[in-house]
Amino acid sequence: MKKKILAVALAAAMVVGMAGCGGGSSAPETSTGAEGEATAEVSGSDLNVMLETPVQSLDPQQATDGTSFEVIADYTDGLMQMAEDGAPVEAIAESYEVSEDGLTYTFHLRDAKWSNGTPVTAADFVFAWQRAVDPAVASEYSYMMSDIGQIKNAEAIIAGEKDKSELGVTAVDDKTLKVELNVPVSYFLSLMYFPTFYPVNEEFFNSVGDSFGTSPDTVLSNGAFVMDDYQPAATAFHLTKNADYWDADRVQLAGLNYQVIQDSQQALMNYQTGALDTTLINGDQVDQVEGDEAFRAIGAGYLWYVSPNIAKVKEFDNLNIRMAMTMAINRDAITQDVLKDGSAPTYTAVPMDFATGPDGSDFSADQTKFSDVCAFDADKAVEFWNAGLKELGTDKLEIEMIVDDDDAPKKVAQVLKEQWETTLPGLTVNLKTEPKKQRVKDMEDGNYQLGLTRWGPDYADPMTYLGMWVTDNNNNYGLWTNADYDKIIADCTTGELALDAEKRWTSLYDAEQIVMNEAVIFPLYTQCNAEMISPKVTGIEFHPVALNRVFKNAVKSE
Amino acid sequence: MKKYVAKRVITAIFTLLVILLVLFILMQLMPGSPFNDEKLNADQKAALYAKYGLDQPVFIQFFRYVGNMLRGDFGVSYNISKNTPISQLIATRLPVSIAIGGFAVAIGAVIGLILGLIAAFRHDTILDTICTIISVIGVSVPSYVFALALSYQFGYVWQVFPMLYNSAEALNSSVLPSVSLSMFTMASIARFTRTEMLEVLGSEYMLLAESKGISGASLIFRHALRNALIPIITVLAPLIVDLMTGSLVVEKIFAIPGVGSLLVNAIQSNDYNVVISLSFIYSALYIAIMLVVDILYGIIDPRIRLAKDNG
Repeated sequence: MKKKILAVALAAAMVVGMAGCGGGSSAPETSTGAEGEATAEVSGSDLNVMLETPVQSLDPQQATDGTSFEVIADYTDGLMQMAEDGAPVEAIAESYEVSEDGLTYTFHLRDAKWSNGTPVTAADFVFAWQRAVDPAVASEYSYMMSDIGQIKNAEAIIAGEKDKSELGVTAVDDKTLKVELNVPVSYFLSLMYFPTFYPVNEEFFNSVGDSFGTSPDTVLSNGAFVMDDYQPAATAFHLTKNADYWDADRVQLAGLNYQVIQDSQQALMNYQTGALDTTLINGDQVDQVEGDEAFRAIGAGYLWYVSPNIAKVKEFDNLNIRMAMTMAINRDAITQDVLKDGSAPTYTAVPMDFATGPDGSDFSADQTKFSDVCAFDADKAVEFWNAGLKELGTDKLEIEMIVDDDDAPKKVAQVLKEQWETTLPGLTVNLKTEPKKQRVKDMEDGNYQLGLTRWGPDYADPMTYLGMWVTDNNNNYGLWTNADYDKIIADCTTGELALDAEKRWTSLYDAEQIVMNEAVIFPLYTQCNAEMISPKVTGIEFHPVALNRVFKNAVKSE
Repeated sequence: MKKYVAKRVITAIFTLLVILLVLFILMQLMPGSPFNDEKLNADQKAALYAKYGLDQPVFIQFFRYVGNMLRGDFGVSYNISKNTPISQLIATRLPVSIAIGGFAVAIGAVIGLILGLIAAFRHDTILDTICTIISVIGVSVPSYVFALALSYQFGYVWQVFPMLYNSAEALNSSVLPSVSLSMFTMASIARFTRTEMLEVLGSEYMLLAESKGISGASLIFRHALRNALIPIITVLAPLIVDLMTGSLVVEKIFAIPGVGSLLVNAIQSNDYNVVISLSFIYSALYIAIMLVVDILYGIIDPRIRLAKDNG
């Protein structure tokens, strides 16, 4: 029982907020519709929702993109679901226990039904999780089970060394699911609302075969809504309220009406005529809607940063040069004058508002923590710059930065170039725009000098960012290496600190301090999305991790 | 005539195979994979490549693909609609594109012809000037600009047509996309008709016909227009192709569930099979249109058919 309390505390510690995004109305991003109270008032209307891209997959173990995750979660509940603040709360699991050593989780399932009438059982989870690690399925998100979830034998199964039946998840009986981990994972419960961990009914799956997830008839719902109009890559589709949902009393919307719109002018016009209740707009449109109470800047979790190629470019092997470049960036100018979508200047290696510590505070709330090594200070930048040039024995540098061939990154890069060239004498920055796939490949191959890139969090823990800078990590493009850093990260992941939440948290700060002191990356800003949300609508919950939007508690008044 | 058609069909099939091979080789040169490059490690990528046979040499992939294609299997999507058979995507989406494209061709050809005829018969008047101005605008402004402008005026300000495609009211919501797509066709046809008609009207056989007392509709349609139509039909083919490229952007703007918007999304995400299949279909349509035009040409002007049969 004591362990359960600890688990709850840890779970609560993982809460996610979004206060960091500026701009727009000062009202909180969400307000829960009718929490707890049974309201007889069902609005009876659909919520009209804009999507930027079509759904890529309705198969929870194959989906990888935010749109698909959101839609799958509209009609599927996992063991846990995401509360308004991002904390995991019981969904299909009615209760759970965690063993003393933090290695075994036992979930007790409630009486819930699939939309074809069959009960949701522990076997549905076992089947789905085994699919996620099955090499024949080749799920792109299998690493949620192995690297991140640390489920027993997941890694060996993915590598084809063990059979999928050996995965550390068992159906003790119809209503009891037991999960075994390699090491304690402090954020494990918050993974349970991630769609890769959602259940799939084996019998139904086998009955529809390859067509699973391609039409309303080939998906099953156990969630708040039921898919009733859909076809692959649809530009418009519809879900309707699930009357048999275990928590149906809470759901006030009659349904969800999705519309894919890939042109921002069309999106805003559709919102303005009332065809949409909520839509994303771009930075250029923000001026048009200034003062509109419907405008909100919503945290998207992405940290944009510049990566210097430390291993292969001798100029960036020089710490003074790296320090000069990060100190010469005016991040406020980038977010206020260029992006204008509410994105927040960031001076830490972990972005704001997605990971909350054991004491309930945001990991990166204090943005001045590293102000001696990361701030806008032209004088200090020039000092570092001159010292660096002297060490390199030159008075001029010409550097190339690779940038995605997209609107926002190109604009940001242009401003960075101007800022650097104005502040640092003798510096020339050349920009090279490439399609994103090419840019990523060049960075992976180490074939770059500076790269403008971004990273979105996979789970609500600073490790989703700090884990990248260990030696030999895929995403450590600049090939920076530091033994002290590697040790801290190893201790926090699988070593002695994995069980001690508070110590782990302070050690993560130590690790971040090293990254900042060494200017491994130049953090720029945490991305926000500029959204219009009709004043008639309340209770849409936005999250930077896992499920970007949750509509279960949304209310639309007429 | 039969021999001529047979020869053209064989050439077309050969051309298609060459296009397919070139597409395959081009896809290999594209950076990155269809998968989430940033989040996957080398082992995971290797597993995905193995699952879809992408680890095989390009020629093996090519022959396997052609073999499957002959059996109607275009493969599955890797990315934009994960694991969905592409034949299914095409079956639901191609008809939408063809309907909107066909509508656009019809509008463009008919209005273009009328504008061209007016300009020719009212040569050097204010009507001629107006038609010319319309044509110049139509040729020089890209279709997506028309799309956004029409959507703003007719969809947003006046609200007479839907701003987005809606399968429940397909006809009504096809008007704006079709009109935006048809502008280039319309303008080109108008210009061409005007020039051709002026030439025909000034020719000696027209003077002869007129002096023989043939007048009115018969003069215009039997003698002038029929002769002017021949060159117009030749330009119609490349115009239809322009329209197909225009549909890539216009479909995206109006959220049309057609193949154009699918192709754009597929290219951006390296969805090899979708790109190859759709490019192949576009090429096949292109070649088919050229073929049809050649045959039509022969029907309208027997001299061509005879010349080709003998030659």
